[in-house]
Amino acid sequence: MKKGKRTFGKILMILSIVFFYLPIVYMIVFSFNEGKSLTTFTGFSLKWYQHMLESRDMMSALYTTFSVAILATVISTIVGTISAIGLSKSKKVVRDLVEQVNNFPIMNPEIVTAIGFMLLFITFKIERGYITMLLAHIAFCIPYVMLSVMPKVRSLDPNLADAAMDLGATPWVALTKVIVPQITPGIISGALIAFTMSIDDFIISYFVTGGGVKNLSIMVYTMSKRINPSINAVSTLVVVIITIALVVVNVIPMITANRPKNTEIKKRTFVIPSVCAVAAVAVVALVFGVNREPSDLPYAGEELYLYLPGEYISDDMLAAFEEETGAMVVVENFDSNEAMYIKVSNGEPYDIIIPSDYMIERLMEEDYLQKLNPELLTNFGELNEVVKSPVFDPENEYSVSYFWGTVGIVYDKTVVAMEDLEEQGYGIFLNEKYKGDIYLYDSERDSFMMALKDLGYSMNTESTEELQAAYEWLVQCVTTMDPEIVTDEIIDNMAQGRKALGLCYSGDAAYIMSENENMGFYQPEEGTNQWFDSMVIPKNAEHVELAHEFMNFLCSYDAAYENSSYVGYTSPNYQVMLDLSAEGGDYEGINAYLPRTDYEMDEVFRFNADTKKLIGNLWSKVKIAASNAD
Amino acid sequence: MKKFSQLAIPYIIWAALMIIVPMFLITLYSFTEHGNSIISFSFTFDHYIKFFSDPDFLLILWRSFGIAVKTTVICLLLGYPLAYFIARSAERLQNILVLVITVPTWINMLVRTYAWIGLLSEGGLFSQILGIFGIEEVEILYTEAAVLIGMVYNFLPFMVLQINTSLCKMDQSLLNASADLGANPVQTFLKVTLPLSLPGVINGITLVFLPAISSFFIPKLLGGGQYFLIGNLIENQFITVGEWNFGSAISMIMAAVMMLLMMLVRNLERKNQGGKEED
Amino acid sequence: MERKKLIEFRNIAKSFDKQITLKGINLDIYENEFVTLLGPSGCGKTTLLRILGGFLEADEGTVIFNGEDITSKPPYERELNTVFQKYALFPHLSVYENIAFGLKIKKMSKDVIDQKVMKMLKLIGLEGYENKNTTLLSGGQQQRVAIARALVNEPKVLLLDEPLAALDLKLRKEMQYELKRIQQEVGITFIFVTHDQEEALTMSDKIVVMNGGEIQQVGTPEEIYNEPANRFVANFIGESNILPGVMVDDYKVRFDDIDFDCVDFGFKKNEGVDVVLRPEDIDIVPVGQGKMTGEVLSTLFKGVHYEIIVETVPGTSVTVDMRVIHNHEVTSENGKEKINASNFYVDLEDVEKLDDKEIIARSNAMAWSTENDEYISIASIEYDIKPELGSYPVVFSTANGTAVERRVFVVNQPVIKNEKANEAVMAFNFFTTVDEIRESQTLDVDIKTWASAQGWKLSDENQSVDISVDYDFDPAEIKEGVYKITFWTPGREFKIHTTDYSEVGQEVGLTFFPEDIHVMSRMVF
Repeated sequence: MKKGKRTFGKILMILSIVFFYLPIVYMIVFSFNEGKSLTTFTGFSLKWYQHMLESRDMMSALYTTFSVAILATVISTIVGTISAIGLSKSKKVVRDLVEQVNNFPIMNPEIVTAIGFMLLFITFKIERGYITMLLAHIAFCIPYVMLSVMPKVRSLDPNLADAAMDLGATPWVALTKVIVPQITPGIISGALIAFTMSIDDFIISYFVTGGGVKNLSIMVYTMSKRINPSINAVSTLVVVIITIALVVVNVIPMITANRPKNTEIKKRTFVIPSVCAVAAVAVVALVFGVNREPSDLPYAGEELYLYLPGEYISDDMLAAFEEETGAMVVVENFDSNEAMYIKVSNGEPYDIIIPSDYMIERLMEEDYLQKLNPELLTNFGELNEVVKSPVFDPENEYSVSYFWGTVGIVYDKTVVAMEDLEEQGYGIFLNEKYKGDIYLYDSERDSFMMALKDLGYSMNTESTEELQAAYEWLVQCVTTMDPEIVTDEIIDNMAQGRKALGLCYSGDAAYIMSENENMGFYQPEEGTNQWFDSMVIPKNAEHVELAHEFMNFLCSYDAAYENSSYVGYTSPNYQVMLDLSAEGGDYEGINAYLPRTDYEMDEVFRFNADTKKLIGNLWSKVKIAASNAD
Repeated sequence: MKKFSQLAIPYIIWAALMIIVPMFLITLYSFTEHGNSIISFSFTFDHYIKFFSDPDFLLILWRSFGIAVKTTVICLLLGYPLAYFIARSAERLQNILVLVITVPTWINMLVRTYAWIGLLSEGGLFSQILGIFGIEEVEILYTEAAVLIGMVYNFLPFMVLQINTSLCKMDQSLLNASADLGANPVQTFLKVTLPLSLPGVINGITLVFLPAISSFFIPKLLGGGQYFLIGNLIENQFITVGEWNFGSAISMIMAAVMMLLMMLVRNLERKNQGGKEED
Repeated sequence: MERKKLIEFRNIAKSFDKQITLKGINLDIYENEFVTLLGPSGCGKTTLLRILGGFLEADEGTVIFNGEDITSKPPYERELNTVFQKYALFPHLSVYENIAFGLKIKKMSKDVIDQKVMKMLKLIGLEGYENKNTTLLSGGQQQRVAIARALVNEPKVLLLDEPLAALDLKLRKEMQYELKRIQQEVGITFIFVTHDQEEALTMSDKIVVMNGGEIQQVGTPEEIYNEPANRFVANFIGESNILPGVMVDDYKVRFDDIDFDCVDFGFKKNEGVDVVLRPEDIDIVPVGQGKMTGEVLSTLFKGVHYEIIVETVPGTSVTVDMRVIHNHEVTSENGKEKINASNFYVDLEDVEKLDDKEIIARSNAMAWSTENDEYISIASIEYDIKPELGSYPVVFSTANGTAVERRVFVVNQPVIKNEKANEAVMAFNFFTTVDEIRESQTLDVDIKTWASAQGWKLSDENQSVDISVDYDFDPAEIKEGVYKITFWTPGREFKIHTTDYSEVGQEVGLTFFPEDIHVMSRMVF
């Protein structure tokens, strides 16, 4: 019987180890995959590592993660230890009070703490970025350090410090030479907890960061919607760094074990931080080693803060711009126009933002944008007539087109009958024949557009009845059709033919079709959303001239070609659009790359604060209904 | 020593600034009308009324609670035997096993969660393994099962380590005493080991339940956009909708629910701690 | 007495990490006995108890309980209960629940449990404490609960593992009586483990003295105290004067060069023995009326009695100079060899006895290879030492011709004689180096060699006397210079417990009865 138990335990242990390490191993294996797939291994390649090393975003995320973790660990350990010693000698009332207060961040859901920090920094107008992230990390690490140091301090002989001072030690000496050595185990475990907490943190960092400062978590969170094996590569790098640190920490004491005991203990204490520090320094060297180039170009040393949706720009194009101007482009991504609006309206400074039509209208209305200087935009004439003078900015006073297109239905030609599409239009999303086989796009505008158009209304309607009807249409869809509501995951998933139908931007559809020839793009006759994403310069931009330079650069043929070819969205540069869709071009024969124009049922979204809020709330409720329907 | 007590003063100021003030701000926002970035002082209960009057919101809270409970129960069922096995191993092995459990927590949580996407998606390793057993075309990704796997994966180490600590702290002589008094191993486990490891179990439950109920990236990464928990709702209010006041109110509600639960659990624990001093 | 054997240990052996803790223990324990396992820590007594309790498995041997082999039974099937060293009370259970634990396991009815627990609480005098948290009880109270928890199961044997160790002195005394009372009241066998001889003597019916994993003696407290089987038992139990003696004949033992009448017999003629004299058996009488005389060295008031140390025979000592000098080895021309030696002193009378070997030893001469540090033999010694006072050169050389010259000082070294102790000691000044002292593994022995220190009986020059060395330098930190070294022999001291005061320095006589002399075989280690 005893034996049986052992075996059960062993099996459980082995299964758990598999459970804990399988994803990590899987990730490491697929970081060497030649293809982009996360499910099939097509061959060995180091290209994702190369990609990672070339991506400034990833390297700086790595640097931010480790440098914040080390700084936060060191500072919170020192402060926490000193405070714990101080508290132990304070009055009981004070001690109890501080312990209670410390319990808040420990016993509260992390998201509440995170929101608290965010509101704090915003209320006191502290610009969010590296420093705020560091401050927040220190703040949530200290209570854990104190929690682990306090019991050791309490178990100390209260006369210890007095005895040391009686023997002639100054309070400082008594503290460092007598008290601290006694509580070292507590300090070490506190430091370890702090390090773990900091390096693992996402939620708090996510809410308190700004200015393009990202740690690894935020990077993974914002990049994870599309398959990006570089994430596997950078994760593997983290695993390697941690493993090296672990090995060093565990092996060095073994090597030095022959030496006298007391030095060994001291060594071990110093090893952990020093290993981490070395790792961090290595990363820093890597990051800056790549970037440091002396330059006498016109904008050398300047930084251009760019704020745009994720996976929406070509790195090569950016590199070309940097080479030409000597400036450095700091890219920050947003999830949605709404998320962007919140940050911009909070006064975070960017040089260029790339929002959509209706949001540009809103920013103009609310006076967040500055007028452009047409003299600096010498390449403007190369643009397609369609994107010149859009309805929201007819004089092109504020915006220069970045990409444009329509919204349509991507469908699997082998599954979906063309007649169904032509007959039903958007109504196909209510056709139970395709139940469980559809994607909805997690965008309130486009979802309501689909419903409104299917119901025969204008997508810019202000009628609450019509919107209510559209809401019910959508609720019916999510409760009867079992759709998956996704964002950019739709691109890779449709490219792999996972589902039959999905609502999609024309640009994404172009990419999907270029990857999978079974896919088609259909723009229903009820009309659709014709959209424009354009570059604008906010009022509080710090590098206005450089921003113009960037806009102008993007209008040029070469830059536009590179960008459109890489992203897959329709270029505003007319010649580029023609060349890319012509014979031999990247998007030859792909109708999604040439979106429908001049169709009377198509509309451009307009901004209306009231309907927007209503649609926003209704869409949240649609998602809740979808979630609750599971 | 007077001098040493002064060492705590900077932290007291810091704690006031970095802990009390943020809590106060959330409270303030949750009770005031509209205003991002600028604090207005017109008090209202609207946000709370909005939350409690809408069955959909309540349902989300309930479902978040449900998935957190499921995660906690699974973690407990897996974690206890695991911790028990580790605690009963030879000391050297024990240290290694604890390290084995701890190491994954040092690798970023999001990175680890991301790794599951490939494993769980259609055509991934899991569906391939299931395919061997004749079960085909099961997509786990973007289902509640995926969210549960992700949560258990991320939070199980907390449970194991907490329980393991409390099991290791247990005096071996207590187990000897139990056997000495005639209890067989099963009885000893039920009557001595289990009750004595309860503080560890409760710490473990806290450490799993707390992040599980408020997590929003695990549901988002593994559950898909239609998988909406209370954490996602709060994130949504702050990042996308921009209803900070309502978001603060939801946060307050969640914090209050958690506080209540924790108090309940602590009370339970205290009652269990043998001392029936009161009666 | 016809009592039933309850427990039999047969050849129990146990080792931990290749360290033997029990070496084949054989022991019988009878019904209704209060047995104490007594010994210093690490003697194996707790191990034996844990094997009986079933918490450890013996490597070899069998444990028989009530006629049944229980060697491989798990603890929960054994009909005995244990009171653990730190009580091991369940912290999550109240006093009542702790005591009821075993009964609940046996699925007894609630009424019965209630009755039994209450009876136990009464027995241990803790009525009204049933709902208390055990962690809030005092040490003595916890102790009682632990006893009650074990006894309530009505075991045939109660094992107590140093249960009083954690209590303060006063409580310990109290609990000793309490335990004895409880044992008499419940009438079962108690097996009690302790390292405290007083506890053992107070409570036990039978004491088992253990040391080094072996049983030294089994007997009643009186037997153990009065007739210790060997030096270890005598030393461990109570205080005693233990001195080497010779059994001249039956009923006749010699120690301190005096023959005494005694009651012991059966030893071989002139067998070396250990003689025990308990301090309280010796009386101080005026000089001339005692069997021996001596000088009072110290008097200590101990409350009930004085503890007086009387030196019957003084010690002998001699002090010499140690000259620590610079290293002065000689290196061969090719650098491959080194040779070294010290100057030394020799007594005029001993010059005749000097030969090559003796000179090498006295001068500590040695030669070695610089390449592999191996010793090279000293091939030749040239000297011409006359039996006259003065100094003479000695040349040591190796086969390769590496040589060093040293001096021998012939002196007339006085001998320190101690007629009373019938002994003499002698030693010479000597030379040595810092390195020799630092590298010495057995410095005391080396110093004796270097100084040619020796002690002998005046009555028989061939019978040597052990001498000790005293110095006040730290060998690890020694520097060049002159140091005083004292060689000495101890005097013979007796410890005496008496109610009469004696002044320090007073000459007194000592007396005792023949039956107070306990003769034991000498222990062989």
